[in-house]
Amino acid sequence: MTLRLTERAETVARQPVSRRRWLGKGATSAVATAVLIVVLGLIFQACSALGLWSEADVPAPSTVLAEFGRLLGTGEFWGDLGRTALEVLLSIVFGCTLGLFAGVLFWKLPRVGRAFEPYLVSFYAVPLVLFYPVMIVLVGINASSVVILASVMAMIPMALNTTVGLNGIPPVYLKLARSVGAGPRRILFSIALPAAGPFVLAGLRMGVVYSLIGAIAMEFTTAQAGLGYRIRYLYETFESEQMFGYIFAVLVLSCVITLSLQGVERVLSTGGRR
Amino acid sequence: MKPSGIEMSEVSVRFDTPDGAVHAVESVTEHVPDGSFVSVVGPSGCGKSTLLAVISGLQRPSSGAVAIGGKTVTGPDPSIGVVFQEDSTLPWRTVEDNVRFAMQCNGVGKGEQRSRAREAIELVGLAGFENAYPTTLSGGMRQRVALARTLAVEPEVVLMDEPFAALDQQTRIFLGAEVRRIWERTGQTVVFVTHDLSEAILLSQQVWVMSYRPGRILEVVGVDLPAQRDPAIVSSHEFNELHNRIWSVLQAESMRGFQQQEAARA
Repeated sequence: MTLRLTERAETVARQPVSRRRWLGKGATSAVATAVLIVVLGLIFQACSALGLWSEADVPAPSTVLAEFGRLLGTGEFWGDLGRTALEVLLSIVFGCTLGLFAGVLFWKLPRVGRAFEPYLVSFYAVPLVLFYPVMIVLVGINASSVVILASVMAMIPMALNTTVGLNGIPPVYLKLARSVGAGPRRILFSIALPAAGPFVLAGLRMGVVYSLIGAIAMEFTTAQAGLGYRIRYLYETFESEQMFGYIFAVLVLSCVITLSLQGVERVLSTGGRR
Repeated sequence: MKPSGIEMSEVSVRFDTPDGAVHAVESVTEHVPDGSFVSVVGPSGCGKSTLLAVISGLQRPSSGAVAIGGKTVTGPDPSIGVVFQEDSTLPWRTVEDNVRFAMQCNGVGKGEQRSRAREAIELVGLAGFENAYPTTLSGGMRQRVALARTLAVEPEVVLMDEPFAALDQQTRIFLGAEVRRIWERTGQTVVFVTHDLSEAILLSQQVWVMSYRPGRILEVVGVDLPAQRDPAIVSSHEFNELHNRIWSVLQAESMRGFQQQEAARA
């Protein structure tokens, strides 16, 4: 994953500008991606039309899209979306910031890092959602309990990746920093973090994904609002059309978050220059 | 008399390893005259690089001291520039930003950074590559960037730790000639560590031959060759004589180091 990140940064830089086709490479693959989703939608539409499954179980894409359009006009939808978006955003910010701090700390104090590492690595595998009931007892059924757990979920990959990246910096960079008399702050911001950049970005990417999965999964189990909560509620009341409308909304949200993350990555990996 | 150049007195460095203490450098007392070019050669595993690290202030000696221009070295200093063996260019910075890095750390003003960076880049023959990223450059060009970064700070002393070891033979010879040309222009004191005898003789005024552990300076050989040298000089009689003289000392040392390593492995 990290390798791919750096490679992509390079290909972006090296792409010749002069070569002209009716569409650039990026545009061509974007069109191809769009065609894929349209084809998938058409297949589902055809299956529904042929009666392979009942409209009550899986509504046709046209129905889902129409329902999604209707949802966009309701206050309830925007309320749920706002709640989930806020939870995800806060978890990303808290989780990734804390993870970055923890990663830097573990690098600066290798003994502390070695003591914590086994726990972090095994926490990776623990479905932290399981602690949600505990969190509810401690904090209550509200956005805070979701944000706290989702932040922890985002923090772990961020901390681990940052530590791995920082520990893998070529020693000569640090020798150079010392020989030119760079202070600790300059070493961190001008040498260590940029050198560990691809790993930190991979951590960020996983942190974002974990925040999203965590927030929606916890809403899904117990909550009073949010997209996950609404899907669960609609599922239990057999309102499958509306439920699929909401599921579609979650898919759109995931795509929006992933795409904006790619934008952030591009800016970070090039320093906004290229 | 005003103290000048690099003065080493009784410099020793010992490392504690799981296999016991290693005496990398043992009682080195030598003087590098101000503005001279000295090469240090020795078998691999001798304390060449350690000695250089002590001069640069990156490594504290276990005992003894180094003084530059009469001032005892206590740590890294802007008056001491180091060029490392490994590629030390920062891949996320352009050539110019790489060259500026050392100046930024030393509080050189922005406008001054720019003009000095341009000057240093030109001096090492990289004019036109200011905005290139190191990944697009060859290994030799990256070492030029590292050299420019060191020169831009305008240090009194330039220490080079096998800077061309990772490069191919042609590039080495070519870059060696460049280093010598730059030294003739700037008049800085240069200590150049290498394991290549011809390179050492070709570049320097003095060649120090170092022993295998414990690292001592066995012999200081003055290079009595014309100041204007070109690589063709390697076929001259004088060059060969120097080469043979240094090699005879070095050969015995290398053999001793080799045997010690073999014995340690057995």
